[in-house]
Amino acid sequence: MDCTLVRTLVRRYCAGEEDWVDSRTVYVGHREPPPGAEAYIPQRCPDNRIVSSKYTFWNFIPKNLFEQFRRIANFYFLIIFLVQLIIDTPTSPVTSGLPLFFVITVTAIKQGYEDWLRHKADSAVNQCPVHFVQHGRLVRKQSRKLRVGDIVMVKEDETFPCDLIFLSSSRVDGTCHVTTASLDGESSHKTHYAVQDTKGFRTEEDIDSLHATIECEQPQPDLYRFVGRINVYSDLNDPVVRPLGSENLLLRGATLKNTEKIFGVAIYTGMETKMALNYQSKSQKRSAVEKSMNVFLIVYLCILISKALINTVMKYVWQSKPFQDEPWYNQKTEAERQRNLLLRAFTDFLAFMVLFNYIIPVSMYVTVEMQKFLGSYFITWDEEMFDEATGEGPLVNTSDLNEELGQVEYVFTDKTGTLTENNMEFKECCVEGHVYVPHAICNGEAAIDMIDASPGAGGREREELFFRAICLCHTIQVKDDDEVDGPRKSPDSGKRCAYISSSPDEVALVEGIQRLGFRYLRLKDNYMELQNRDSDIERFELLEILSFDSVRRRMSVIVRSATGEIYLFCKGADSSIFPRVIEGKVDQIRSRVERNAVEGLRTLCVAYKRLIQEEYEGIYKLLQAAKVALQDRERKLAEAYEQIEKDLILLGATAVEDRLQEKAADTVEALQKAGVKVWVLTGDKVETAAAACYACKLFRRNTQLLEVTTKRLEEQSLHDVLFELSKTILHCSASLTRDNFSGLSADMQDYGLIIDGAALSLIMKPREDGSSSNYRQLFLDICRNCSAVLCCRMAPLQKAQIVKLIKFSKEHPITLAIGDGANDVSMILEAHVGIGIIGKEGRQAARNSDYAIPKFKHLKKMLLVHGHFYYIRISELVQYFFYKNVCFIFPQFLYQFFCGFSQQTLYDTAYLTLYNISFTSLPILLYSLMEQHVTMDTLKRDPALYRDIAKNALLRWRVFIYWTFLGVFDALVFFFGAYFMFENTTVTSNGQVFGNWTFGTLVFTVMVFTVTLKLALDTHYWTWINHFVIWGSLLFYVVFSLLWGGVIWPFLSYQRMYYVFIQMLSSGPAWLAIVLLVAVSLLPDVLKKVLCRQLWPSATERVQTRNQCLSVEQPTVFMLSQTSSGLTF
Amino acid sequence: MTWSATARGAHQPDNTAFTQQRLPAWQPLLSASIALPLFFCAGLAFIGLGLGLYYSSNGIKELEYDYTGDPGTGNCSVCAAAGQGRAPPPRCSCAWYFSLPELFQGPVYLYYELTNFYQNNRRYGVSRDDAQLSGLQSSLRHPVNECYPYQYSAAGLPIAPCGAIANSLFNDSFSLWHQRLPGGPYVEVPLDRTGIAWWTDYHVKFRNPPLVNGSLALAFQGTAPPPNWHRPVYELSPDPNNTGFINQDFVVWMRTAALPTFRKLYARIRQGNYSAGLPRGTYRVNITYNYPVRSFGGHKLIIFSSISWMGGKNPFLGIAYLVVGSLCILMGFVMLVVYIRYQDQNDEDEDDE
Repeated sequence: MDCTLVRTLVRRYCAGEEDWVDSRTVYVGHREPPPGAEAYIPQRCPDNRIVSSKYTFWNFIPKNLFEQFRRIANFYFLIIFLVQLIIDTPTSPVTSGLPLFFVITVTAIKQGYEDWLRHKADSAVNQCPVHFVQHGRLVRKQSRKLRVGDIVMVKEDETFPCDLIFLSSSRVDGTCHVTTASLDGESSHKTHYAVQDTKGFRTEEDIDSLHATIECEQPQPDLYRFVGRINVYSDLNDPVVRPLGSENLLLRGATLKNTEKIFGVAIYTGMETKMALNYQSKSQKRSAVEKSMNVFLIVYLCILISKALINTVMKYVWQSKPFQDEPWYNQKTEAERQRNLLLRAFTDFLAFMVLFNYIIPVSMYVTVEMQKFLGSYFITWDEEMFDEATGEGPLVNTSDLNEELGQVEYVFTDKTGTLTENNMEFKECCVEGHVYVPHAICNGEAAIDMIDASPGAGGREREELFFRAICLCHTIQVKDDDEVDGPRKSPDSGKRCAYISSSPDEVALVEGIQRLGFRYLRLKDNYMELQNRDSDIERFELLEILSFDSVRRRMSVIVRSATGEIYLFCKGADSSIFPRVIEGKVDQIRSRVERNAVEGLRTLCVAYKRLIQEEYEGIYKLLQAAKVALQDRERKLAEAYEQIEKDLILLGATAVEDRLQEKAADTVEALQKAGVKVWVLTGDKVETAAAACYACKLFRRNTQLLEVTTKRLEEQSLHDVLFELSKTILHCSASLTRDNFSGLSADMQDYGLIIDGAALSLIMKPREDGSSSNYRQLFLDICRNCSAVLCCRMAPLQKAQIVKLIKFSKEHPITLAIGDGANDVSMILEAHVGIGIIGKEGRQAARNSDYAIPKFKHLKKMLLVHGHFYYIRISELVQYFFYKNVCFIFPQFLYQFFCGFSQQTLYDTAYLTLYNISFTSLPILLYSLMEQHVTMDTLKRDPALYRDIAKNALLRWRVFIYWTFLGVFDALVFFFGAYFMFENTTVTSNGQVFGNWTFGTLVFTVMVFTVTLKLALDTHYWTWINHFVIWGSLLFYVVFSLLWGGVIWPFLSYQRMYYVFIQMLSSGPAWLAIVLLVAVSLLPDVLKKVLCRQLWPSATERVQTRNQCLSVEQPTVFMLSQTSSGLTF
Repeated sequence: MTWSATARGAHQPDNTAFTQQRLPAWQPLLSASIALPLFFCAGLAFIGLGLGLYYSSNGIKELEYDYTGDPGTGNCSVCAAAGQGRAPPPRCSCAWYFSLPELFQGPVYLYYELTNFYQNNRRYGVSRDDAQLSGLQSSLRHPVNECYPYQYSAAGLPIAPCGAIANSLFNDSFSLWHQRLPGGPYVEVPLDRTGIAWWTDYHVKFRNPPLVNGSLALAFQGTAPPPNWHRPVYELSPDPNNTGFINQDFVVWMRTAALPTFRKLYARIRQGNYSAGLPRGTYRVNITYNYPVRSFGGHKLIIFSSISWMGGKNPFLGIAYLVVGSLCILMGFVMLVVYIRYQDQNDEDEDDE
């Protein structure tokens, strides 16, 4: 080892960068391979320390500050703060420094606390004891001292300390059970297999004598992929080479179950384990609202800069009159006089920038973030989205996209497990044209209903072969009764086995066959045991498993029966089986399969082939060669499978029903009414998928189906098909424009498009002459005019491709992808909003999604209610924030014209600082959490309301400009109202006069009241909390002002606010002016609201009005009838 | 808040009205049927208030005179010409004669007004030391840097009161003489120079430094008066309660005005025969003309004004109320028309659905 170390050091310091190597070599137990073996390149691997924390004690402050100031907004405020520190500015640095400091500190404390928790968790993990095998003895060490090549012992219920190659287990068959709940959330037990040649090493002494090296790929984050090779050296023979796959790999984070102990050798440690590599966060998605917000910010930045520029220029124009520049009463210092003009102008410009910088408030970011964070709790709290059966509620993985839920235009949904239950039920099987339908089980006795005539003797043999095939051709594990907690059942009272499999179809099949008399018992020592109709136990030796993959769409097993015959059983989708069949009643079975598919059943075909010993040996060699390959193993395996699975004899077909999820049809219908286009993307076959689409009302009876499928493309070229379809569609859309947008598409011809994966790849494939975009565009045009699109036979990546295609189409619609399985992850990540169903196919989708819900039906509430609410809330939040800061800053701008452009502030420092922090912050935050412009029930009942907010309706330029102009108008009212009040007169009954601070305070008071009341006008949902916060914050302003002006504050250098507020209140006209100015400011908005509601009511406003009338006129009975009538139309 | 009685899973959320967003709420709607009466009521109320304000403002009398002394505008032009280009301007007096045909209803207040004088200029506005003005010893000796260039005198003594505001203290003075009968003697009208500053300013915010041996002059020993002042701060007035930092003229001046044209209260007339107002007759205002304004294009005015509950003459508020009130009523009618015409239409639309 020392030698290695020296070599490593030499390499590091002499050769510079270490060459990147594709694979790594691990010496099991640090034993060097015998000389003569290939020269391996030693590599440096990290120790087993897990570092999930971002900061250390020393770098926390600089690194955290750096991270925070990388955000453009924080950086902007920092610049403003620095400018205030450097130059002579109107406001003290405190006014912008304090909020910034507050925000930065709170964020830093939060992040620091989180990091401290991570440190604690890390050190707990890093220090937990691990059993090492050293020199034939067990040694306890801290986990972090573990290194690659160490042999580790893990006991039951312990988690694996790093990624291990499974060497041996206490179980005789060399297996162990593992749960990966903490990795991917799947709580089912998975079986892993020890390396064949090492599973005999069961004690510490034995394992210590193991002499082997492992070659494997460099660490990579895919949890389900692993390729490696082990060389076991023995004194006598040549080294034995064995392939290693993910079934031999035990991942860090998984827990050992039902196995007393195992030995394994560490191959990936610390930050290189697959778990750690999966820590990396996903790419950040940003919502449409956030994008508009950033655009508005740029607009405001431009306004800010132009305001500062105007004032700077005006200042120098105004000063050009000699006596204006430096009157005798306000003389400059010598230094000021001599300063360069340009420099003076620049500092003036900066000072104006500082004066007006509040127009982009630091608090907006904080409020938006708080709104998103707190608001997302309403989703997790929602009881209607809680699933009693599974005990799961909705999960929010990111709160950044809440409002995006209200903007969805396209929903891409998976079929299996999303639209359907993924709760498979065996419906029937068809053997050589004879159909078997198992009835519901009565006391374990299977009642077989044979529809067709009873088969002959040869038929019976085939029939039993078919049943055996189904019993054998799968990857099911049996969960024994003794593993299940609770009272044990006596063995003979029908020992119920629980089957566990990654594919629910298989479970349904095996359970269904059980009702037909054949029962799969277990896999023991590589022998599969099953119980036949005569209750005899048959044993088959499992020779090979050609596992399932979604490209091949089939799987096979090779077994040897007790009589020594070798069979290959193959099971798969009809399209992948039929071409490989050379014998059997293909036509009869095909017609049955198609009939079943139309009924929406999932069909599988079963075929077999008898192998002679020589054939099997050839196959064995072929598979071994492919399995051992380190590079391209997958491709080589696929080729081998291709060669093996051919010349099959068709046995029969099965049909499994996958029931629709409850209310799936209702949900799809509601989404379509809401103007959302629903696309189904599935790997299923066309007929099955189309049937499901009809069942969930995606296609209706009057929907005209357009097909772009492989079948059709065989007859016509893609070009012709697309042009023909687009002609049909364009004809329709032309009539649509003539129809003058009747809104609901009920009376129009509905189009539905069906496309399959092969056709899609043709469309997407770039062509030599570069005309690919043409097809794509054409396809997009067709799709956009279809109310529903069904994409079948999709590979996972194709799903993502479709989403991407729509996402980047001309209108940039907001897309949502929903799915439940690993095959949906790519589209979930691709779409604007990804929703995972917490389903049966593991938690991969839920883990990678932005939101996870237990059932498809919850999507309705998620979009129509939560999405709608969040959207109106956040858009009001954004617009209101800009509005109130225009109100705030524009009077300052106007005041410059009356104070000689001297950057005099209108308001006191405390008001400047607290305006956004406390006087006007809480009401809008509360509004953005609580507002419900219509009730939840109305939103659910009337999905069409969703159209009202489509396309970012509340943040369009028109609305933004309205708000901005309202702000400017209000600011003009505040300022000139106060101006005319103060002009040339006194407003007190004792004849005393007010100064500039009273002037500013009057403007400020009117402003705080106007801005708060404006929000009150917009609030449609007044709970006691709203009352409390809105009136409370006004009261707080008054109390604060009384206090702030009522005391000489010793820490202030200025006492300019002393008694200013109270003196103002002692003046009658000031009160009258406040009332008048508030009324005038609010008047245009009230007028606009009333007139718009009366003249051009939106759907939402109509519903509001109707509800209002109803609640006034009639008690609840009437409401109920209204509900039902609402449902019917 | 209602709690469901059923047993719940570990992850199951609390079923409170708040978490389910079902808090009882008042859901008002700003519809025409509510807005209409609101507009009419508000309009009527505003018009009523506006009329009251307008008449009460109209009842207030004002008499003003520009004594800047632009050539040919009276005898103050002599002083103005004399002071032209000379700093400090020489002492000069002038007078303004006016006659009242009838009683000028009291109480009458005497103001002076300056125009184009930027008391709200930022550099000017910060040039003061509130700590010094509150009588703090240390600040008396060490004025804050904002006072610069009026922080220390040329001799290095701290200036008290420091800063540009104090330095530019308005130093014209007025006295009012009444001639009851034509040709008769002029009688001085007593001007009450107290109570012109805010009570809190005069009593709390502005304090003289502690007396040394009972003498204010000693307390200010070691300080210099502002360069433009002719006498030290402790000699602003012989009245011990009106001198030093608590001189009311000074306190009034130190409350900087909001706009470049501003008035400040000079005196109240409320004593003796003049408590009810200025009786008719001829009056003379003797003006000590010191304060230079022509150099920056400003004007000085002297104003007699009566005061009502709403302060001085200010027609703005009344007119604004009248305008807004009429607008409200007008809008109310517009809305009424819209409401009647479109109400049926909306109903029909709803029936169509």
